[in-house]
Amino acid sequence: MARIHKTVTGDGFLAKQPTNKTLLDIHRRMVRIRHFEERAGKLMEDGKIPGALHLYVGQEAVAAGVMVHLTAEDQITSTHRGHGHLIAKGGDFDRMYAELFGRSTGYCKGKGGSMHISNMDLGMLGANGIVGGGPPIAMGAAFANKFRKSKHVAVAFFGDGASNEGSFHEAANMASLYKLPAIFVCENNGYGEYTAQANHQAVVDVADRAAGYGMPGVIVDGMDAVAVYEAAGEAIARARKGQGPTLLECKTYRFYDHVGVRGMGLNYRTDDEVKKWMKRDPIKLFEARLAEQKVLSKKQAEAVHAEVLAEIEAAVAFAEQSPMPDVASLLDDVYSTAG
Amino acid sequence: MSAVASETKTRQLPYVVAITEGVREVLKEQANAFVAGEDVAGAGSVYGYYRGLLDEFGADRIYDTPISEKGIIGLGVGAAAAGLRPVLDIMFMDFIGECMDEIANQMAKMRFMFGGSATLPITVLTMAGAGANLAAQHSQSLEAWLAHLPGLKVVMPATPYDAKGLIIAAARDDNPVFVVLNKMSLAMMGDVPEGPYEVPIGKANVVRTGKNYTIVTLGRMLGQALDAAKQLAELGIDAEVIDARSVQPFDTEAVIKSVEKTHRAMVVHEAVRFGGFGAEIAAQIQEHAFDYLDAPVARVGAPFSPVPFSPALEKVYVPNAERIVVVAREQLGI
Amino acid sequence: MVQAIGIVANPASGKDVRRLVARASVFDNQEKCAIVRRVIVGASGAGATRFVYAPDTHHIVANAFAEFDTTAEEVDAPRTGSALDTTEAAIALRRTGCAVVITLGGDGTNRAFVKGWGDAPLLPISTGTNNVFPRLVEATVAGAAAGVIALGTVGLGECATRAKIIRVAIDGEADDLALIDAVLTRERFVGAKALLEADALVLALLTRADPAAVGMTSIGGLIKPTAASSREGLLVELGTGGRALRAPIAPGLYRTVAVTGARRIAPGQPVEVRGPGVLAFDGERERVLKNGQRAWLTLATDGPWVVDVPTTMQLAACRGAFLEGATDAD
Ligand SMILES: Cc1ncc(C[n+]2csc(CCOP(=O)(O)OP(=O)(O)O)c2C)c(N)n1
Ligand SMILES: [Mg+2]
Repeated sequence: MARIHKTVTGDGFLAKQPTNKTLLDIHRRMVRIRHFEERAGKLMEDGKIPGALHLYVGQEAVAAGVMVHLTAEDQITSTHRGHGHLIAKGGDFDRMYAELFGRSTGYCKGKGGSMHISNMDLGMLGANGIVGGGPPIAMGAAFANKFRKSKHVAVAFFGDGASNEGSFHEAANMASLYKLPAIFVCENNGYGEYTAQANHQAVVDVADRAAGYGMPGVIVDGMDAVAVYEAAGEAIARARKGQGPTLLECKTYRFYDHVGVRGMGLNYRTDDEVKKWMKRDPIKLFEARLAEQKVLSKKQAEAVHAEVLAEIEAAVAFAEQSPMPDVASLLDDVYSTAG
Repeated sequence: MSAVASETKTRQLPYVVAITEGVREVLKEQANAFVAGEDVAGAGSVYGYYRGLLDEFGADRIYDTPISEKGIIGLGVGAAAAGLRPVLDIMFMDFIGECMDEIANQMAKMRFMFGGSATLPITVLTMAGAGANLAAQHSQSLEAWLAHLPGLKVVMPATPYDAKGLIIAAARDDNPVFVVLNKMSLAMMGDVPEGPYEVPIGKANVVRTGKNYTIVTLGRMLGQALDAAKQLAELGIDAEVIDARSVQPFDTEAVIKSVEKTHRAMVVHEAVRFGGFGAEIAAQIQEHAFDYLDAPVARVGAPFSPVPFSPALEKVYVPNAERIVVVAREQLGI
Repeated sequence: MVQAIGIVANPASGKDVRRLVARASVFDNQEKCAIVRRVIVGASGAGATRFVYAPDTHHIVANAFAEFDTTAEEVDAPRTGSALDTTEAAIALRRTGCAVVITLGGDGTNRAFVKGWGDAPLLPISTGTNNVFPRLVEATVAGAAAGVIALGTVGLGECATRAKIIRVAIDGEADDLALIDAVLTRERFVGAKALLEADALVLALLTRADPAAVGMTSIGGLIKPTAASSREGLLVELGTGGRALRAPIAPGLYRTVAVTGARRIAPGQPVEVRGPGVLAFDGERERVLKNGQRAWLTLATDGPWVVDVPTTMQLAACRGAFLEGATDAD
């Protein structure tokens, strides 16, 4: 997948308007996430994917708008809701579905599953079953980037709920202290599991917390891919220039339940609220704008969807036909045997 | 088993409801008790074992916390030191990593460090266990971490009866007690009396009596061992199955008594075998009953790897009756 | 009779991408809440007793009042988390007949408010980013000034002036308005809103051209200063071949822009612009213009009343408003 390495021109950290190529790239990444997740949800309901599945549907603009700025050498850390991050970072459907199915051909050889899906070669340092697990690791990766004097950045994705873990606060402080090329992207979807944000933190804007660590905090509309693209571009450019971390809060929403599609059937969100957010479907909003700007016609958009869907069919077939891991592999990779 | 007043009714209830009943009794009898944890109030916990308690006891007795495990345990330690009797919930046992300092350096040591002046009547409910395809960070059994800390008590109910009784006992105890539950046991049915009763902490339960083999189990492995015992019976081995119920304090006496009779012993737990609590049990047996032993103590536990996701791997990872039988046959040479 | 003081706080102000690009600082909502508390204290100190306020998603004003015995009435307005909240709040506050409205926000907040209440009596406190319209003023004093207005000690006609505004008509779409500047840029998206891409600027109509301010107003200000008190506005045209000018297009951000012309514009004289592009108002990209779509920007002098705090307080002091035991006869 094409990755656009941002160049920064002029004063400040000003990012240029996205080119058509970039816009189409963002669009494709979002569509890839959406269909991958929709299909994964169905496969889970059909009993084909074991374990827990946290779907990213609704939040696609965040992963796509950020990741389009990154190269494979830039690192990210993800969350329990990690498929979207890996896809946007260039994840391959075959190996992703294979992992969800627990097959040996999966990214983690079937050992990680949905909650730990990752690929180091793509700079994806792990979906994480531990809420708040990512930010310190991203901080460490950013440290490595600075240590090596590279221009690469590390991005930590985490939720509103995760912003209450001490790990986030320690990572934010250290990243700012050492002026590390880190970006803390909070995907504020208003809930940690079944607890509304108002019941888990006294602030409404996680970005307010940035000031306490001496870094800028910014809020953007997480349903607007261009808004995310612009703000992330600034934060990333700033980090590449050695000016330290940023806390970027994207206000977003997950369309499905915390786990799975329908989840446990708890009435913690009103239908009205869900509907209101679904009206702001980030893909539909983006496609409408792209059509308006004559960047992508309705027909062309449909073709992208069709292509992605076909790729998914093939990937699911690949996964289903892949072998389960050999029992003997259980003890592999506990330690490195090199060196 | 502890005595239950004869007139109390006993019902068949699932383990998950037995947990609810235990907590309900605690909230009823202790005005200073409250529940705090992630998604415990509104959602009634992700496994549903607090469901209904918010309506029953109100928001002053059951609190949804932020995702802040260090905060949850700290809340409990501070509140207990100030006179309350907290019931805390750490959603998955794996997450004790998040709050291990509060547990190991504060909760466990405060009383001793302060010359006995602090009393910490804290109950922590937490969910352990593999087998649900939840992979490496949602499946661990970490009782050995806790049992290694002087100052803590650790119990592992294997049945609905014990779940309720141990929760009540834990909450009545003036020490911090971890009640390690198992997610694969939640649907397990069993006899549960109405009303409050205690299962004493530190007392093992001889669930099956046998003549020539002792199997000591922790938590959910009781069921696997009882299945194995049936298979072993066909091989002429009459196994006594002892559910430790409590790992700290551990009922060494009950185990030694059995081994003196059977002369051969096995320890079974779900946790990683190497360095697991079974090693302590085996050591206790050889220290106290060396002369009675006809064979080295066998241990069954998980392989030395994190819990794998793939069902194909997890199936062989989690100890089961077949494995117990295989190891027993190796040990006994049959 | 003592009239009510209206309060509206915009939770979203001071948090956009300009924190990064323009080195603007974060305005956290705890500080906004503290400002409202100081307003309440100041207003009460001046003798005000009645308050009405707009609901906000972050409960800034409600939380501020929670600390006091002073009662306040919350008007019925939505909490959607968008600028619409402020506009609807303006409509609702107008209905209460309050004497003066204290707004907490930046240019964007006041713009949204004026969309709902065109001739509102405003006392704007700056908690935003591009702050040309609202002033940096200590909230206690702002509260006191609002208080003496609510008490009738100082009349609006004595202490406030009407601001100019720009009315915006868009072909086939809803009208809009701007308080300081309306800008056409060749950018394509509203995106993160802040207007930052200097090369894309086409045209700016300014109600005032202030060389001592930041934002689009400074571009005109550094060429042809035009005061807020002047009847006229300034039209600046930009593009290749123009005269290079360095201007602070946002707080903390100087950029070189190419100015091809700047001329004064009288009220009522529409300036026609055409898409494709984006119309930005008061520093924020707001409306997308399709290819060929037309819009008209017209300067008007009948904008909101804006209270001048020093003038108000001087009048109040002359009238002994704060002397203990003062009576009307004093
Ligand atoms: C340390 C830890 N505590 C609790 C959990 C259980 N848990 C899983 S996801 C989740 C909610 C996370 O909320 P948020 O960070 O907002 O992410 P979202 O699910 O909304 O994407 C919780 C509490 C966990 N996995 N890890
Ligand atoms: Mg969330």
